[in-house]
Amino acid sequence: MTSKPSPAQDNPWQSDNVKPFIRIRNVTKKFGPVAAVDDVSLDIYKGELFCLLGGSGSGKSTLLRMLAGFEEPTAGSIEIDGQDMAHVPAYERPTNMMFQSYALFPHMSVERNVAYGLHRDNVAKGEIRQRVADMLELVQLSGYGRRKPNQLSGGQRQRVALARALIKRPKLLLLDEPLGALDKKLREETQFELVTIQETLGVTFIVVTHDQEEAMTLSTRIGVMNNGKIEQVGEPREIYEFPGNRFVADFIGSVNMFEGIVTETEADFVRIRSKDADCDIYVSHGVGCAPNQKLWYALRPEKMEISRERPDQKENFFEGIVEDIAYMGNQSAYRIRLKSGMVVRLTRTNRDRGEETPITWEETVFVSWGPSAGVVLIA
Amino acid sequence: MSETAQQDSVRPWRLADWFVRHGRMLVIGLPMLWLGIFFLAPFFVVFKISVSELAIARPPYLPLTSWEDGKLILTLNLGNFQYLIEDSLYVSSYLTSIRIAFFSTIFALLLGYPMAYVIARSTGHRRNILLMLVMLPFWTSFLLRVYAWIGILKANGVINNFLMWTGVIDSPIVMMQTDFATYVGIVYTYLPFMILPLYANLAKLDTTLLEASSDLGARPLTTFLTITLPLSIPGIVAGSMLVFIPAIGEFVVPTLLGGPDTLMIGRVLWSEFFNNRDWPVASAVAMAMLVLLVLPVMWLRRAQSQQEAG
Repeated sequence: MTSKPSPAQDNPWQSDNVKPFIRIRNVTKKFGPVAAVDDVSLDIYKGELFCLLGGSGSGKSTLLRMLAGFEEPTAGSIEIDGQDMAHVPAYERPTNMMFQSYALFPHMSVERNVAYGLHRDNVAKGEIRQRVADMLELVQLSGYGRRKPNQLSGGQRQRVALARALIKRPKLLLLDEPLGALDKKLREETQFELVTIQETLGVTFIVVTHDQEEAMTLSTRIGVMNNGKIEQVGEPREIYEFPGNRFVADFIGSVNMFEGIVTETEADFVRIRSKDADCDIYVSHGVGCAPNQKLWYALRPEKMEISRERPDQKENFFEGIVEDIAYMGNQSAYRIRLKSGMVVRLTRTNRDRGEETPITWEETVFVSWGPSAGVVLIA
Repeated sequence: MSETAQQDSVRPWRLADWFVRHGRMLVIGLPMLWLGIFFLAPFFVVFKISVSELAIARPPYLPLTSWEDGKLILTLNLGNFQYLIEDSLYVSSYLTSIRIAFFSTIFALLLGYPMAYVIARSTGHRRNILLMLVMLPFWTSFLLRVYAWIGILKANGVINNFLMWTGVIDSPIVMMQTDFATYVGIVYTYLPFMILPLYANLAKLDTTLLEASSDLGARPLTTFLTITLPLSIPGIVAGSMLVFIPAIGEFVVPTLLGGPDTLMIGRVLWSEFFNNRDWPVASAVAMAMLVLLVLPVMWLRRAQSQQEAG
């Protein structure tokens, strides 16, 4: 068992000889004494759909606005397609942005909104008409060209905003919470549309979102931001299965975090004693740590087994009492209280329909997991 | 619940129902009553005088109705209106008023728009101070402020003294009793009425629209012309109306600052009433002015509401 998924050669970020399309180098943005973005360095490659994921105030929007040219970095440099963006105003950048509020011009029809960018470049009238018609067809809004933004539904406005941002065929499209204003069902549909459009046009997308599910579904890679810094950059699977620190593990999905002390560390295994978990934890790969070092063991709710019988193993299991059960159809979520007082969350797929004696409230159960189910976190 | 309890609960609900049904009427009715008493009634009085005949009497006009041989005779004298058209004085002073009001509105717009824009773009404390400065003149009497302009503009006033002292000019420039002084006075007086509605409009402008425009390749000037300006048209219209309409009837400024040949309709009205004691003609002048003003305003409002709907 290796600690990381094996690198696939066709991903540009895993290759040394592909030049990044966007280079962000030590960028800091201060508003007064507060650093909204703090010494961020990031490479993004051509054709990527990169998600900047973080809570409010994490600096993700500020970073996006610096790429668009609405904010100047206090320090550091931003390069797009080999060109330094310092002092390049927004109207001269090869980027377009889709705003969270859509920012459609209320006094213009859908057609005029979409054509706005082309008019600014003095594109010939006939070509504008053709390109606007093609773009409206791409976003499935043919026939809505004459309407004003206030005569459209939220989902239609979102697509007008997308069409307007794509019409100039930008090298880089910046999307600020593109699906934030849509309801859940529409959001799910639009997610896939967005990916299809991105793949069809081959434009590089940078998406800012606070919705981790959205980030997981959309992106080639995710950059998790917190307090103006990038905590981790990786593919969705990597971010979920191999979080780099406690913040990422906790922010993405749900996790049980056990604090522990290293009792044994070897090249191919580590043994941790955890008071929280009330047992020894055996990890079947080496971790760069020293004996007696304090660290954390992160275990996702779906990576554990629940059973009435004591498992036949020396470590990686504990005994607890079922405190709460939530039946959610496809799965059930359990909250199990350990002797240490810690409450562990655990989910189980409901594979059988007619379970005769399902585990129930106040029952004593055993929870176990495999030697590679959890992640050892040093920070 | 028992029968009696139900009946008891009916009574207070009736009053509430009455308010629900008639509350609207009450709320709209009060201002309507106000307008009826203080606008519509005087309007009809003026209208009545405008179609009556001049007489040396008190009040100086004849009644519209008379009783002769058992017949009630209603005499409508349209001669006053005819007189307005025949005597070129009235037509030319109407035209002068409209011209002065029009250009004053343009000047006020050109001055007021950038000021309103800066105020709308500034934040917090600065914005409040700037707004205060715009409204500060209202704390002094209008008449006093116009008199202050006499002190500034007259032959040995502030401007001429300063220019003579610096040696730019040898003899004072004549500014008082000119159209120039009238423009200065009117623009100065009505500038806040231009700035405030424009400010209210520009402050509402969503700045992400400007960012979106810039993002799509528009330089700042293009963004202003294609986004800010069209979206501020309601503010421009409101401000212009608030300057243009009172400026047409302005009496104080042209009287105090303007020359004898600056014949604005307000002054004509005044002299008709108080110097000639010709109330019917004066009323006809007022009625004609009202029609002249109300028609374009109504047309504009209609155009605006149609634009908003479409």
